[in-house]
Order: sequence, then C-alpha cells, then structure tokens
Amino acid sequence: MAEDNREPPAGAGTLREALRALLPHRKEELVPELGEKVERSVVQLLWEAAELFCGGHRSECLQASEAILDYSWEKLNTGPWQDVHKDWRRVYAFGCLLKAVCLFEEPGDSAAVAAALKACDMGLLMGAAIHGDILIKVAAVLQAHLPSAKRPGPGLAEEQPSMKKARDDCVSVPDVASERLVPRLRCPSLQHFRKQFLVPGRPVILEGVADQWPCMTKWSLEYIQDIAGCRTVPVEVGSRYTDEDWSQTLMTVNEFISRYVRSESKDVGYLAQHQLFDQIPELKRDISIPDYCCLGDGEEEEITINAWFGPQGTVSPLHQDPQQNFLVQVIGRKYIRLYSPQESEALYPHETHLLHNTSQVDVENPEREKFPRFAEAPFLSCVLSPGEVLFIPARYWHYVRALDLSFSVSFWWS
Amino acid sequence: MAEEPRGSWFGFGFCGFGQALGSGRGRQVHSPEPLRTPGAGADVRRVSASWSYTAVVTRGGQVQLSGAADGAAGGCRDAWASEALLVVLRAGRGLGPGPELQAWAPGSALRGEPLWTHTLVPEAEGADGAGGEAQAGALPLLPGARAYVSPRPPFYRPLAPELRARRLELGAEHALLLDEAGQVFSWGQGRHGQLGHGTLEAQPEPRLLEALQGLPMAEVAAGGWHSVCVSETGDIYIWGWNESGQLALPTRSLSEDGKTVAREGEASGLNEGGPEVRRTAGGEEGAPAPFIALQPFPALLDLPGGADAVKASCGSRHTAVVTRTGELYTWGWGKYGQLGHKGTTSLDRPRRVEYFVDKQLQVRAVSCGLWNTYVCAVERGES
Repeated sequence: MAEDNREPPAGAGTLREALRALLPHRKEELVPELGEKVERSVVQLLWEAAELFCGGHRSECLQASEAILDYSWEKLNTGPWQDVHKDWRRVYAFGCLLKAVCLFEEPGDSAAVAAALKACDMGLLMGAAIHGDILIKVAAVLQAHLPSAKRPGPGLAEEQPSMKKARDDCVSVPDVASERLVPRLRCPSLQHFRKQFLVPGRPVILEGVADQWPCMTKWSLEYIQDIAGCRTVPVEVGSRYTDEDWSQTLMTVNEFISRYVRSESKDVGYLAQHQLFDQIPELKRDISIPDYCCLGDGEEEEITINAWFGPQGTVSPLHQDPQQNFLVQVIGRKYIRLYSPQESEALYPHETHLLHNTSQVDVENPEREKFPRFAEAPFLSCVLSPGEVLFIPARYWHYVRALDLSFSVSFWWS
Repeated sequence: MAEEPRGSWFGFGFCGFGQALGSGRGRQVHSPEPLRTPGAGADVRRVSASWSYTAVVTRGGQVQLSGAADGAAGGCRDAWASEALLVVLRAGRGLGPGPELQAWAPGSALRGEPLWTHTLVPEAEGADGAGGEAQAGALPLLPGARAYVSPRPPFYRPLAPELRARRLELGAEHALLLDEAGQVFSWGQGRHGQLGHGTLEAQPEPRLLEALQGLPMAEVAAGGWHSVCVSETGDIYIWGWNESGQLALPTRSLSEDGKTVAREGEASGLNEGGPEVRRTAGGEEGAPAPFIALQPFPALLDLPGGADAVKASCGSRHTAVVTRTGELYTWGWGKYGQLGHKGTTSLDRPRRVEYFVDKQLQVRAVSCGLWNTYVCAVERGES
C-alpha cells in the first residue's frame, strides 16, 4: 500500500469519535431486540460481541462479528428469500455494523475504511434496519473520511466517452415511426390522467412532469462516481436474465462503471432493479415522487424506487409487474415495447413458477415457428428520452432496451 | 454395515464457543488436535457437532456436550446435535421396553425434562443386528427406519416403508436418503441444485436420483446446500452449490480473491499427480474451465492419484472424504480452519490433510459440524 501522508491524529480520532457518537453507548442498547427465532447460542454471541465492543477489544469483537455475519448469512440463504425471518436480517445488519466500526486498526488506512464501507453496504443490501437506519449514517461518515477514494480507480484514464457512445456491434435503433406509438401528454391534470389512463390501464408518456428534477442536469458519470463510487451495489451480468449464463454479483459503483460502462466489455453488466436511493439518501434529493402517485391507495413510504443504470444494449426481456409503474428517464434513451395484459396468451409466458411473469419470446428477434401468435399481437412502442416519464399500467407487459448509456428511475406504486 | 471404527478422535475448525477442540472466545483450530474426552479410556463411538456445541457419545453409553451447551448423561446409544434441538436415543427409560427418543433444548444441560419424547418399538432382529447393539450414527434416521427427526417442527417425520432407508442426512433446506439397495433419494428445496434432479425446483417428497440409478452407493452426506455420495466402488459423486468450492469445481469467488491454490499442471507442493476433476459437459482438458456456481446434476469427482473413497461428511460449505488407504481429503470453505491445512484458505479442489500422513495415522471416519471437522484415526500397523 502506498505510503501517503500520515493522517494527523486528530483526523483519525475524528472518524472514530464520529462513529462512536452514532452508536448506543451501553451494550444493553447495542444488541437489537430479537424474537425466539434466533437461537440462544446466537444471542449469546451477540451479547459477547457487544461486550467486547464496549470494552474496547476491537480485534476480538471483529472476530465475533465475523462469526455473527457468517452464521446469519447462512440463515439468509436458507429457504426462499421472502420467508427469511426479519430477525435474521437484523442479526446480519448488527454483524455488519460491528464489523464496520471495528475495522480500523491503523488510522488513515483507506483500505480499512473501504472495507468498512463495504460491510455497511452488505448490511444495507441484505440486512434489515436496526437502530433507526444506523448503517446509512455510519456509511455516510465513512464515505466522508475516505481519502481521495472518490477519484475513479485505475484504467479510467481513457478519454471520457460521450453520453451517446456507440458500440462496434449493431446499434439498431428501431424504426419507431412504423409502429403504433405510446401517446404523449404534457402535464395532464390528476383527474384527466386518472380517468383516461390509470383506471382503464392505458400507457402514456408524460412530458413536463420530471424534466425539471435536479437529476436531469446534475447526473453524469462523474457525479455518480463522486457521490456513490465506492459504494457496493448488485450488478446483473449477462445479456438477459432468462439466459443460462446470467448471474448477479456485487461490486462498487466505480468497478461497475470501469468494467461495464467505460470499457468495451464482452459481457453486459446492468445495475438493475436496485433501491439505490435507500442505500444512498444523498441521491434521493435529486429526484421527486411524481404527483400522480397520490392517486394510488398506498402510502408514500410504500412506493418502491429502483435505479436502472447501465451501458448501451442492456435488455429487460418482455415481462409484467404487479404494480403501477412510472419509469423516469434521466440519462440516455430507451426503446420500450408494451403489450396489453389481454394479449398474454400470445406472449407465451414461461411455465415455471420462477419465471411465470416473463415471456419466452425475444421481442426483437422472435422465433416465429415456435411462437406463431406473437407476430400478430398488437403493441405500443416508444423511444423514451431524458426528462420523460412513461406510465406502465400494472400487469402491462413491457420490453426495454437501452439505446445509449442509460439511467432510469422507476416508481412502483399501488 | 461396519461397526463404528475404534480409534482416537481429532478435531479442527471453529470452536468459538469452547467446544471440544479448544477453549476461549472466537478461537479456531487450523490443524488437527486430539480430542480430550473426559474420563480416561472413554472410547468415542460417535461425534455429532452443531454450530455452537459438540456432542460426543462413548461406547459406555455416555453423551458428553461441550461448547454453548454442556452437560452429560448416561444410558445413551446415539445423539444428534443441532442448534435448535439435541436429539438423544436412550436405552429403554420410558414406559415400554424399546429405546426412547428424546429431544432436549441444548441449553438444558440434559437436566430436567426433555422438550418431547417418543418411545420406539423395540427393533426386530434386522439385517444389521450385530449382537443387538444398534448402529450408532444413524440419527437423524430412527432405528427401524420408519421415521426421522427434524430440527424444525414437526420433529417426528415418518418415512414411507417402501423406502427402506439405511442412512439419512439433513442439509440446511434439503434431505438425502440412502436405501438398502444403494439408491439415493432427495427432497426439500432445490434452488441451489442440491437435490440433483437437474432442476432448481423444490421437491416435496423423496425422489429417486435417476442419474445415479444402477450405481450402488455406500455413503451419502449432506452439507448446507450440497450433497455427496460415495459408491461401493469408491467413486465420489457431488452436486449442489459451489460458492466456496465445496464441489471441488472452479468457483469465481476464489479466483477473484486471488487465493486459489495452483490448478492442474502448475507448481504445487503436493507430491501426487495433478488433481483431476472431471466436469460435466464443457471444459476440455487444458482449456480454461468455466466457473461453476451450481451443479444440479451429480458430477463424478476424482481424487488425486485415483484414490478410492470410503467415507464422506460435509459441513455447511466444506467437504471431507476418507480414502480406502486411510487418507483424509478436504475442500471447500476454509475460513475457520475446518479444512485442516494449517490456514484459512478456501479450496476448490481436494487436498490431503498432511497431519495424518506425517503422524503415520490411518483415518477411519470423519464427521463434520457446520464449521469444523472431527476425524477418527488409528496408528498405522494396527488392524
């Protein structure tokens, strides 16, 4: 590790003090409340770890927190995710919290700070909130103390690609003019939107609704790397999630951009369907909730906001979601095709439980003999550009391909 | 079936709760250590280890606990340790003459009353009735093979009698069964390929592994999310999740960490010829092998030098195999020293545990806890 200027003791102390200030002081307050699902032995270990932490035995606490993490990780991977008891996710988050705070041996050790930040992110990705979202606060403190780590990593010295970087292989922009287009409206009233589109379940592109959001002018690769570069996020690798060689993996935003956005990667990488704005609240300030969401039944906190960030060429195969969706385009353009739920049979959904909301048909290259009815199914299409919002009614089948480097934000609401 | 092997027991891996291997907090043992069992000459019959404690059953009928659960009790023929329950088979203490199955809370130190009991019908003279002494090490399969014990309710689970179970092993979310004819059945969750039927679908009832039909198996072992079986001719078949290399197939996580031990043909400190791992379709000799995350069909695994396997056991994410010539091979997750190679490196290929070779010990049996490994061995030269 390169010897940079030693941080003055005050700097290191500040970090540790800042972290300690966030945590409960007494071990009784430190261990989260847990139900009976969590075995006695685990609770015993949690108390031990808390005691070690309060006693200042950092390296022993770190050992204990690793065991807590590894054991709860196994529980998180047992059975379907939705059946995993929330207490196990709390235990996991607690392990991440202790690990993050215990990781500094050497003051100013940026590798340790980066590892601590990764621990926070793992807790945010897989754990459940404890002590009022303490992991978000710890992550913010750590990020602020990362020395110059906001600068992108090696291999990014190449010239900045333009936002509409074209690839060597086919850049097919569909001849949308020959297809039936999704209608466009400029700032419709709530009543009009509700009556004409929400209730009957008809797609529409809303203009003038999101085009003034801060993200539209602020977001760029540099900005994203600045705010979130060292944060760990889930990335999908592979052309589409129905492919055999598709996989999910974790990496920092910097690594994702370097590997899959700036360079000509053989694989497609997609930061898809990730609640990035819960993980990094600072980014949330650059977006808003579309007013039309108030027409729904749910609370604002129940709206799921996902980030979709990737290079040109990412594809989401034709599928349907159970909730209403506002898809806001921020960077780049997307080609989107929409099929009504009434056409479901002509779209040949997979029969397995896992993929029953996904069509077997490759929309832009369908196998006509295998899926004969597909060619006749009517559809709407569009090219969605920055500043525009596409309303995708619940259960409406949609296919998405990024024509450029793209960043979209989706709002799932009921 | 063979009697439980006599010999000395050793252990390595996680002992953070002070169980059998060592003492103190957060301790791990990276190289085999002899097990210190209280009571001189206590001949250990079976070792069953859960995450936070270990149960040792002696030939004298004592069950001894160490770790987060402690205590001891007599009149015990078999024991099976899990975090939720300690299951003990006690010689007829109940109302009838048959043995009594007891489930205890691990923290009870075997004092007071068990959580529940089940009196078993006294066994008829079966094919394995060796002088009336029931085979230890059968739990969670119950004597009579009509049912098995689960750590989750319902605790008592009947098995269809036509299954004729000889051996049963439980993973984190699946079960493996070996029948009298050497056929393997599996059921439970399948999302990690651990059922071996070629899909990721769950299986509610025992289903025959068609890929192994006609190959009589001698042993089955279940890890957290992977499955192993050993044929009567000494071949190893393995399937399920490979995230830490527990299938001895190349795994991405190890190559990216830069911690993989050198692969075929490259310099290694081992004397045997390069380990060969036959993969399923794809990956010819010499071509860089693709990473394998899941293996939903059984894959044949060759040990170095073509050694025959006789015993196998799995922890949550590691695998251990005993060969006919008394060597021990381990691979998979090694973070807590559970592979016994004096470090914490995980491995995606089989490696011999040199301790036993160096000490001229012949390994007879292996029993893995979640994150540790217990081994029974005798001095070479003894029968």
